[in-house]
Amino acid sequence: MLRSLAVVALVGCSLPEGDYFGRTPDTLDPTHFRWCNQGEPDHLDPTLASSTASSQLVATLFDGLTTYGPDGLPAASLATHWEIAPDLRTFTFHLRRDARWSNGRAVTAYDIAHSAFRVAHPLTASPNADTLAPIKGATGYLTRRVFVMRRAVASLSAGEVVEVAGEVASEPIVDPSARTGGRPLALRDLGAAATTAYAIVPAGKTVTLMMTTGGRATLPSPDGAAWAYVAWQRDLEGVAGWVPTRELDGEPNGDHVLQVRRAQVKDTPGPPDSRTEGGERPIVAVHARDLLHSTDAIGIAIPDPYTITFETADPTPYFLALTTNRALRATPIEAWSRWPRRWDRPEHIVTSGPFHLAAWVERDRVELVRSPTYWDRGAVKLARFTAFSMDDQAASTNTYFTGACDATAANTIPSSYLPAINGEQRAGRAYKDYDVSPFLGVYFAWIQTRKLPNVHLRRALSLAIDRTGVARFTHGGEIPTAQLTPGTPIAALSDADLAVCGVTRDTQGVALVMIAGQLCYVPPPGLSYDLAAARHEVELARGEGGFPDHVLEYRYNAGSEAHKQIAEYLQAAWANIGVPVRVTAQEWNSLLDDTHKGDYEISRLGNIGTFADTESEFLPLFRCDSPDNRGKYCSAAFERLMDEARTISDRRLRNAKLREAEAVMIEDAPVLPIYVYTQKHLIKPYVRGYAVNLIDQPPLWQIWIDPAGRAAR
Amino acid sequence: MIRFVAGRLAASVAIVFVVATASFWLLHAAPGGPFDTDARRSAAVTRAMEDRYGLSRPLWQQYGHAMARLAHGDLGVSMKRDVSVAALIAEHGPISFVLGLLGLSAAVVIGVALGVIAAWRRNTWIDHVVMAGALIGISVPAFVLGPLLIAAISLHLGWLPPARIDGVTSLILPAITLGLVYLGTIARLTRGGMIDVLDQDFIRTARAKGLPEHRVVAKHALRVGITPVVTYLGPATAAMISGSFVVEKIFQIPGLGTYFVTSVSDRDYPVVTGVFVFYAALLVLLNLAVDLAYGVLDPRLRRTAGPATGRATDHATGSTAARPPR
Repeated sequence: MLRSLAVVALVGCSLPEGDYFGRTPDTLDPTHFRWCNQGEPDHLDPTLASSTASSQLVATLFDGLTTYGPDGLPAASLATHWEIAPDLRTFTFHLRRDARWSNGRAVTAYDIAHSAFRVAHPLTASPNADTLAPIKGATGYLTRRVFVMRRAVASLSAGEVVEVAGEVASEPIVDPSARTGGRPLALRDLGAAATTAYAIVPAGKTVTLMMTTGGRATLPSPDGAAWAYVAWQRDLEGVAGWVPTRELDGEPNGDHVLQVRRAQVKDTPGPPDSRTEGGERPIVAVHARDLLHSTDAIGIAIPDPYTITFETADPTPYFLALTTNRALRATPIEAWSRWPRRWDRPEHIVTSGPFHLAAWVERDRVELVRSPTYWDRGAVKLARFTAFSMDDQAASTNTYFTGACDATAANTIPSSYLPAINGEQRAGRAYKDYDVSPFLGVYFAWIQTRKLPNVHLRRALSLAIDRTGVARFTHGGEIPTAQLTPGTPIAALSDADLAVCGVTRDTQGVALVMIAGQLCYVPPPGLSYDLAAARHEVELARGEGGFPDHVLEYRYNAGSEAHKQIAEYLQAAWANIGVPVRVTAQEWNSLLDDTHKGDYEISRLGNIGTFADTESEFLPLFRCDSPDNRGKYCSAAFERLMDEARTISDRRLRNAKLREAEAVMIEDAPVLPIYVYTQKHLIKPYVRGYAVNLIDQPPLWQIWIDPAGRAAR
Repeated sequence: MIRFVAGRLAASVAIVFVVATASFWLLHAAPGGPFDTDARRSAAVTRAMEDRYGLSRPLWQQYGHAMARLAHGDLGVSMKRDVSVAALIAEHGPISFVLGLLGLSAAVVIGVALGVIAAWRRNTWIDHVVMAGALIGISVPAFVLGPLLIAAISLHLGWLPPARIDGVTSLILPAITLGLVYLGTIARLTRGGMIDVLDQDFIRTARAKGLPEHRVVAKHALRVGITPVVTYLGPATAAMISGSFVVEKIFQIPGLGTYFVTSVSDRDYPVVTGVFVFYAALLVLLNLAVDLAYGVLDPRLRRTAGPATGRATDHATGSTAARPPR
């Protein structure tokens, strides 16, 4: 509302004439790029960062096996080449030798592995741990249900991977990794002298054993004796470091008894042995001191310092896309050991990416500079990159308008400004610095299938909506869709993509181009507007006694005019087929809580994908055991098809199976897709190399400024 | 005097405790938690995040821990950002303070002047114009004034930046937006106070003694007539120091005011309790300062004149001669 007033004033004072919305500053420093980010990054540590304002910056500071290419697909970075096993369950990466941390140390495979182990450890409480879920043992490690036998007990041999039998306990889990030292523990770097310790744990205080040397993917011992990496929660931040293992002589929880059994073969890292799947797995009672919460239970192995191998439990065709994710980026153990929650600050940070952190002024800006130690620093043209952390959209757009930033991140334009910028108020002449591109996200409404169990009623709700009418509330070129998986409109695809997708240009709907020229996923048609069919479904519902006896409720999150307008539009569409619905605004967190618990009937939400695959954030939502299945949808047919798809390695066949599953799901109408999101950017004409892609991960270090490209203003 | 101050300080501790308790229980009564997200997240990850901050423990236990920490002066650590609340306040408080001080100083100086003029020339056209202006100042909310100023001065004329604090010039628009509300209120309060005072005996005495009118008004009357403004300044200063959420959002100022709202919608329990306790403590201390200031300004309200001595300082002559009892 307050922004509308600025717009009124702005419009009243007349829109800029000419082709460009933003002013060009009088002086331009071609080595300094200023970016209006979406907001303040929550962390710059890849392990802990989860906000949209941080993910693009994290990718510039920390290198990964792969990184984002201009098209958003994984491009070789730390890894120069890799091998993927035909069954899509083993992935081997070979690292370059010339990558360096900003403190001079070489980047090795251990940096990737130790970082992943930190993400997977429960004490870290990383929001990104789900990225590692496909890797063998990662989820069991996080929940402390997977261990390695320390010594033989009954039928279990030493070194065997075991899992806790029985249901997940709800009371606090006893941690077998608790240790104490009879003498003070000097936490230090691996192999360093005790005098270099940066923290001393008093004798008898409990620490948590996280890693030991000599594991499948941990550093070898520097001096022949075993070393242990322990974490001490002296305060909420804590501190961690290496100590010789022999100094850990106390095990406070050693006597605790657990019921365990051998882990399934498909969850056990390492080459399969002679035992077959489904063999006997008797439950054995062991003491906590017989177990190690060891990283050897996780499917990561390091044969030599520049090679790393991952093993997944099921065929994972999108594993390469996971290696670009924050959870698998390399982070420096020497920094996060000393300051677990503050090492991403300029005074402590150590980076390996194209940029280094020069300054971080909270809630104002993040200043990055070209890294002098990045292996490809010659390709980075910018010397300085400033990201403003304004979270108010009007402020960001105004700043762009006055020339104080050179480009805006996605979602920084208030919707009330859009009619002025997208040409609606200039007879269709949009400004040239306004860019609208498809985005991998879908705006939809969940239907609580246990409260509205009649499938005919739900289908009627979907068939009654003319989604093309929604666009007038959003002004951003959003693509109306009745299909769950988002993509680009088929009518707009190139001939080559049409061939790959196997469709003709007049096919309705969208298609998700996963790899240009190679792989495409075409979602099945959804229940799009058909008034006669909607009315017919209503009659069927009445006949089955499934017509609601009360006014239904549609909820949306308060704060956006567009949500309200869409809600009222849907309400009118449903009134048209005789289904009365009232609309209610609810505060965001309360809405999330209520939908999570199932305390709603119909609710607006949406989902955004992190890589170009329906398995990214879309179809798996509807599995019976998914905690994000807010519609409480559970279909045996859908589960069977998803289980079959999970075992398929051939991506085209897998897509075909997923499409069958999506068809089953969409016909049951647990969800009402409304439109595919678009991303809107404002980019000055002198900015080059700003690669807008489907997943909104432009490689920011490839941007450069062409002074000759300034508009004459 | 000492007893008075000590008593008030003891009451402050009780008030702060009540505020901390209320903010804790009210926020926990709201549905949802700090780690709710619409993105996909497994139950295992959510559990690990909640365990780290003890959110799986019974609520009474969490309350006890929070109050124990507070008793030791530890305001806790933000669940969203992993920084201590004290550090947040230290980092973001100063800019709110500076901005508020600018806005409030301008408002006091201009507002008092306008109020005095209006009272001195009461019921003339000057009075009506000033009071109408003050009413407009009070009535126009910051979220209307701010964007209008931005649109006119930043976007259209390009004189000042539209957002962010970057140099002294960027403080001007937010200070005006912030100050205008205070200005109107102070002008009206001053006028009211002055009108009261200008009718009093001691003013008539001063005039009868032949003091020039401007001295009568500016020195003798103002000193007492400003009492309502001083009362107002206590809470106004507290609000100023803790920052205005609306102005900070419009101008993207990294101040403290934002946290009063965002921490609630984030369900960041320690930050909510921490900033509200900070604000309560500030408010209580400033109100105490206001009460002490009364004594300085208006001798009739002084508590330093004990009944035993019956002595008081006569401001006109400076003598401490004993006064006959009334």
